[in-house]
Amino acid sequence: MNCRLPIALTLLLASVLAWAGEQAEFSVVTEAGNRLHISSDLSPLTINRIHSWQLRLTDADGAPVTGAQFEVLGGMPEHDHGLPTRPEVTAELEPGVYLLQGVRFHMPGRWLLEFGMSLGEDIDGAAIEIEL
Amino acid sequence: MNKRISAIFLLIAAAVLVWLLAPPPLPERWTESETALISSLSLSALPPLPPDSSNSAADDERAAALGHRLFFDPRLSANGAVSCASCHRPELSFTDGLPIAVGTGPGRRHTPGLIGTAYSPWFYWDGRRDSQWAQALTPLETHFEQGAGRTAIVRLLASDPDYKTMYEEIFGSLPDPARLPESASPLGDEPGRRNWRMLDPDLRFKISSAFANAGKSLAAYQRKLLPGRSRFDDYADAAAIPQGDTHHRPGDTLSRDEIAGLDLFIGAAQCVNCHNGPLFTNHDFHNTGILPVLGQLPSVGRFDGVRLARDDPFNCLGEFSDAAPGQCAELRFARFDNELTGAHRTPGLRNVTLTAPYMHTGQMGTLAEVLQHYDEAPTSMLGHNEAKPLGLSSRQLRQLEAFLHSLEAAPAAAAEWLRPPQH
Repeated sequence: MNCRLPIALTLLLASVLAWAGEQAEFSVVTEAGNRLHISSDLSPLTINRIHSWQLRLTDADGAPVTGAQFEVLGGMPEHDHGLPTRPEVTAELEPGVYLLQGVRFHMPGRWLLEFGMSLGEDIDGAAIEIEL
Repeated sequence: MNKRISAIFLLIAAAVLVWLLAPPPLPERWTESETALISSLSLSALPPLPPDSSNSAADDERAAALGHRLFFDPRLSANGAVSCASCHRPELSFTDGLPIAVGTGPGRRHTPGLIGTAYSPWFYWDGRRDSQWAQALTPLETHFEQGAGRTAIVRLLASDPDYKTMYEEIFGSLPDPARLPESASPLGDEPGRRNWRMLDPDLRFKISSAFANAGKSLAAYQRKLLPGRSRFDDYADAAAIPQGDTHHRPGDTLSRDEIAGLDLFIGAAQCVNCHNGPLFTNHDFHNTGILPVLGQLPSVGRFDGVRLARDDPFNCLGEFSDAAPGQCAELRFARFDNELTGAHRTPGLRNVTLTAPYMHTGQMGTLAEVLQHYDEAPTSMLGHNEAKPLGLSSRQLRQLEAFLHSLEAAPAAAAEWLRPPQH
């Protein structure tokens, strides 16, 4: 977490921050102007349950962005620790729709999640905040 | 002049006494978010026990009956004197009252309780096992715990007529005990390991499968050990019902000190960050700057635990598990990096007042010491302490301790599960 912090902070500053609350669906415009729509299979979001998210990545015109490679980092800034798990995108379920597995939160409070995306030669980023 | 000094002194003493003894101010009423947090801690919020997909016998009553007998049987040890129940004593909430466990030899860690642990995805202080059955197998082969070895356990199952009947009804036939060396185990002493290597691979697999089934039966029994309702649960459920302007109503099941302790627990003392949910644990791993026992190196905790869980042949992804790989999310997506150095599992707090001493090597004898530690949040010797100093008063620390007493309750398990089986 710590060695990745500068990259994560840059990513955060460059991206549009979304405030998600406990809702299980949220949407954010990425640094490169794409849209990342996130829906959780656990609704409402609660602590201490491992679950999956679907990430729908579209461009500004709403067309699916395929073949993206994701890196998902996160943690609780107030507590200076990262996520309790290491979530991974394990499949592209349909064009532009990615399965993120292994998401779990283990404390109530403010969580920050950062999505790094490699799109061929390009990189993109987005961040969301969740209050649990 | 002297009279005046005495009077001033008496006044100050009286003021200090009033400050110490006067009932603490309580908030007018719980806020909506506080009420939600309190309700989330109630046993009423505990979901039904989730299935253990890695253990097809987890909810089989016959397996629970077999596991019950195995749990209390000292023949499952190298010296015939140590059963699971020797350290997990029912009368002590399945702990042993010792700083560090003593099995066939001196142990390494403090014995954790078992009530409600079937809800946990991880076992041991460092999470080195990912299921209750994989956990149950480990002491059987660890030389300073029970140390019986793999073939010794399977020989016992196959040679004791009651065990053989009970086992084969659930899992099918056992290997012929005549074909099994007395002592053979991949984790035993050198002669035991040599015996193990010399066995035919097919027979090794059959022995390990039967051994795994012993663990699955022990887990089926331990799934019966569920927490009972405490005074706090009655209070939490009542607090969730909006009634008037104050949360301290006549008939409340908690005292003023206990309520003040609850207020601190979910607020200023930040206990609820990790001790959350109806079992008062997030089942996760945190470095809270616990010092090692004098003269010992600090434990690396979860940093080692996650590696050991991945390497365990009895884990969720292993050949003895009944789960499909997709059902092993905790193991597949377990975190593995330096931040876990020195992190240990958050213990549940129900009946914590009955299970001294505390911490992974029993470093702290009393809850007062534990609370003092979290109030100070000292620098960790290894990794970094996630907790921050709290700056609570001694009275607030006593109130927190008072609150913890409100979590005492007898387990919600039939009496027969809490004593050795009657033959």
